[in-house]
Amino acid sequence: MSHRSDTLPVPSGQTRSQVLRDQSIYTQLLEVARHVQQTVREHFVQLNRQGLLQERRHTQAIREQEALLSHLLCQMINLLQSGATSGLQLQVPLPSEDSRGDVRYGQGTQLSGQLDPVPQLSDCEAAFVSRDLSNRGTDISALYQSSFQDYNAYQKDKYHKDKNTLGFINLGTSENKLCIDLMAERLQESDMNCVEEALLQYPDWRGQPFLREEVARFLTYYCRAPARLDPENVVVLNGCCSVFSALAMVLCDPGEAFLVPTPFYGGFAFSSRLYAKVQLIPVHLESEITVIHTYPFQLTVDKLEEALLKARLEGKNVRGLVLTNPQNPLGDIYSPDALMKYLEFAKRHDLHVIVDEIYMLSVFDESITFHSVLSMTSLPDRSRTHVIWGTSKDFGISGFRFGALYTHNKEVASVVSAFGYLHSISGITQHKLCQLLQNTEWIDKVYLPTNRFRLREAHKYVTAKLKALEIPFHNRGSGLYVWINLKKYLDPCTFEEEQLLYRRFLDHKLLLSCGKAYMCKEPGWFRLIFADELPRLKLAMRRFCEVLEEQKQDLIVKQLEDAMRE
Amino acid sequence: MFTLPQKNFRAPTTCLGPTCMQDMDSSHGDDLEGECSRKVDQKLPGVGDPAMLSSGTSYLSSRGRMIKWFWDLAEEGYRTYHMDEYDEDKNPSGIINFGTSENKLCFDLLSRRLSQSDMQWVEPSLLQYPDWRGHLFLREEIAKFLTFYCKSPVPLRPENVVVLNGGASLFSALATVLCEVGEAFLIPTPYYGAITQHVCLYGNVRLAYVYLDSEVTGLDTRPFQLTVEKLEMALREAYSEGVKVKGVILINPQNPLGDVYSPEELQEYLVFAKRHKLHVIVDEVYMLSVFEESVGYRSVLSLERLPDPQRTHVMWATSKDFGMSGLRFATLYTENQDVATAVASLCRYHGLSGLVQYQMAQLLRDRDWINQVYLPENHARLKAAHTYVSEELRALGIPFLSRGAGFFIWVDLRKYLPKGTFEEEMLLWRRFLDNKVLLSFGKAFECKEPGWFRFVFSDQAHRLRLGEQPTFPAQSSLQPSLWPLLFVPTHHAIGASRPLASPF
Repeated sequence: MSHRSDTLPVPSGQTRSQVLRDQSIYTQLLEVARHVQQTVREHFVQLNRQGLLQERRHTQAIREQEALLSHLLCQMINLLQSGATSGLQLQVPLPSEDSRGDVRYGQGTQLSGQLDPVPQLSDCEAAFVSRDLSNRGTDISALYQSSFQDYNAYQKDKYHKDKNTLGFINLGTSENKLCIDLMAERLQESDMNCVEEALLQYPDWRGQPFLREEVARFLTYYCRAPARLDPENVVVLNGCCSVFSALAMVLCDPGEAFLVPTPFYGGFAFSSRLYAKVQLIPVHLESEITVIHTYPFQLTVDKLEEALLKARLEGKNVRGLVLTNPQNPLGDIYSPDALMKYLEFAKRHDLHVIVDEIYMLSVFDESITFHSVLSMTSLPDRSRTHVIWGTSKDFGISGFRFGALYTHNKEVASVVSAFGYLHSISGITQHKLCQLLQNTEWIDKVYLPTNRFRLREAHKYVTAKLKALEIPFHNRGSGLYVWINLKKYLDPCTFEEEQLLYRRFLDHKLLLSCGKAYMCKEPGWFRLIFADELPRLKLAMRRFCEVLEEQKQDLIVKQLEDAMRE
Repeated sequence: MFTLPQKNFRAPTTCLGPTCMQDMDSSHGDDLEGECSRKVDQKLPGVGDPAMLSSGTSYLSSRGRMIKWFWDLAEEGYRTYHMDEYDEDKNPSGIINFGTSENKLCFDLLSRRLSQSDMQWVEPSLLQYPDWRGHLFLREEIAKFLTFYCKSPVPLRPENVVVLNGGASLFSALATVLCEVGEAFLIPTPYYGAITQHVCLYGNVRLAYVYLDSEVTGLDTRPFQLTVEKLEMALREAYSEGVKVKGVILINPQNPLGDVYSPEELQEYLVFAKRHKLHVIVDEVYMLSVFEESVGYRSVLSLERLPDPQRTHVMWATSKDFGMSGLRFATLYTENQDVATAVASLCRYHGLSGLVQYQMAQLLRDRDWINQVYLPENHARLKAAHTYVSEELRALGIPFLSRGAGFFIWVDLRKYLPKGTFEEEMLLWRRFLDNKVLLSFGKAFECKEPGWFRFVFSDQAHRLRLGEQPTFPAQSSLQPSLWPLLFVPTHHAIGASRPLASPF
């Protein structure tokens, strides 16, 4: 967090009283509260800076105070804002950061309640005149700042085996770092470098025809489509979040909703809120196994029906269902039968289905067969089934910014391409992607086997550790993560405690993501990325164990104290 | 960027651009419930047939249908062009594009530079999630680059730089973070019309036009001159219509006028903005495409003291100045950290590949190549192409504006429109297209006077000549009314001459 050195310029002739006169009493109080909130936050940052971080107990106390203070301030702002602008519902911010660089927040958390981004003001006067952003700009910025605080801390203080051994290790962001050697080598081959006139000029906004053809061919092959997929049904944009955002824009009106089974990849929650103003309604799944639910977090049509009914009773206009397959954070895949049932459910209710298959080639357990929705011989509702895929996860190149939409609905494809202006990919990058996808031989013989092998090894290492610690986890052989249950380290088992444990990991320079960020109903779940190189992974797991040991000691002390009080 | 030929979808007297997706009276548009409860297609000023939008397909949302409608309209010319693109060998009778503002004169230089070995670097950090503001190494290069080429009196700072995938994205992001739904930016017209869509698509922000006249009257010293009086008037008008204006967009060098603002003028506009607490977005995407030295272009970043630095935001990109519109690279420079951070928060949707970021850093760093090879050659070629086209126009007695910046000439074809209406302008545009020439018509730039066209001259000479080839041996003996035929490739001209003759 940087501090601006001086005060912001105050427009000439502008006195504070004039400014105040322009605003309602609520707005003024709101400003003051925001300013106080900011000051408090900065105070804690200062404390941290002054080396208090080293003293663990002290920091812990400060963190608790900080949590309380920001909670109170948020409530205050909430009340004020409802007075000032009527009807905005605010809740306590839930900062957390995650994969695809995206941000997650709990269901129902409203952006406006996040930390205020009128930061770095050294003068109260300035606070009244420097509101250069729109309300939504403020929200966007606030969400970003609060959510990326930890990610940015990691970016600035990354672990390095020689240069920065005490830096952060990131097992929170879903990135595959296991095959970067293969990718770097492949990308340096001569076929990758091409500068043609057409690549430097305005493109077809749906994506260059050569790339769309290649994507269609690639998906036909790897999704085992019964018939050749049509390049006209492909739109390529700069990332899957962009695709999702554009889809949400054209399928929903503001305030309308999608159903999402939770725990759910929170990045889309961010996307849908930020630009499209589309709500995600959780279909809460449970970890417990019952007669109906033969495995944890099982999605059933009953659950979908129930959630849909409830949403409709509440007056929500539900336009679609979003499925991630293979699932994130569960690492599970849907069977073709289950998938068919969900699709039929959607058809019955005229719902669109967006299937995010971004991990489709990251199924590393050989006993599992992934079935893409594109492999189905007959889709219940072709015109309402839209598939998203990208290279970020399966090829470990999140920095490439590439996401593709495949939809049989030509109208949807056409209107999504209107967003090509705003989410376009460089022609040079499109060429590289085309070359990459084209080389099936390299993918099949070199890349995929190696990638799967390395994922398997890393997974084996992490799960062995978890078993030794007797930590329950959920993983069925796909994705880059394990979904772990740390309930036994929380007392009481609340989201507040979950957040504190998350903070404790951070204090030990370990970044994980917590369940709340995936709209998980039950506190205590964390997602841990294992797709990192072994030396780093080992060190991360050492830190992980240390944290849990410390947490356990604290729990014992706490229980003793409780017992003594009684 | 491509200028969108748009149908005359709003009454010429209307001062405000369309709101595409929602109505404009929402004061805090982020409130889900508020937007939800509102009928989406009510109060859309003059946008087509509402029946068409509310009925029809059942797959899209109302705003989806609206976007589709706009998109289909906007892309009409472009799509026609793409289906029948001219190619020297493969399709010599295809459409020649003088509508899209692209510099096609220096591809040879660029391709050589981009193929050099320093461009092919691959390292892990470039393949992973970036700093969403742009990689630091690139932001550092941009800061240095802009300091040098904008002649900034103080070194510009990397923390004030945000990198995005193109100017369109930057307009979209700025509109979203500076304005609420339905709020507006002032923009002098004629202006690069695609901005309407950029600020509207996600942001639902509209443009309030500051109409300029071709006629030189009163205090004006040249056609289409922007004055503070006109800005004040437009601002008052917008307010009287209940529209909240949040800022001013200035394009400098101007598109489509090919003119530049003097430092004094610029200063006046900035002071005006400061007086009304308006943001100023200065789009300097053509700043290195000033090919006449005498024009005396000055970047806003060169000003000794900005009246309101916290509300002054500068845009630049490589699309025009480096003829790489397909590369998708643009940058924001703003001293306002709140704005920079807010724009960066949206960058996950507007990011560009790490490898391309690396290439851009290499390119911008290579001052020797830029100064000694690229810029002199680019300017010489622009000048030659400009001279060629403007001489042809002069010979034909066609009035035009162009002062030596940008890729275009603003051509006055008013005398070919008997009634002087936008319908006739549209017909003339279609006639050009039917004769395989794509131009941009004035309405697309929200020009107040029908009959102006933008002609992009920055194309290879052979295409220019083909487009302009006289169809009759004695060029000087042509009647002015036959001038449009000059844009027609020879073999089409004969057939086209008959239908052309009648309306004029």
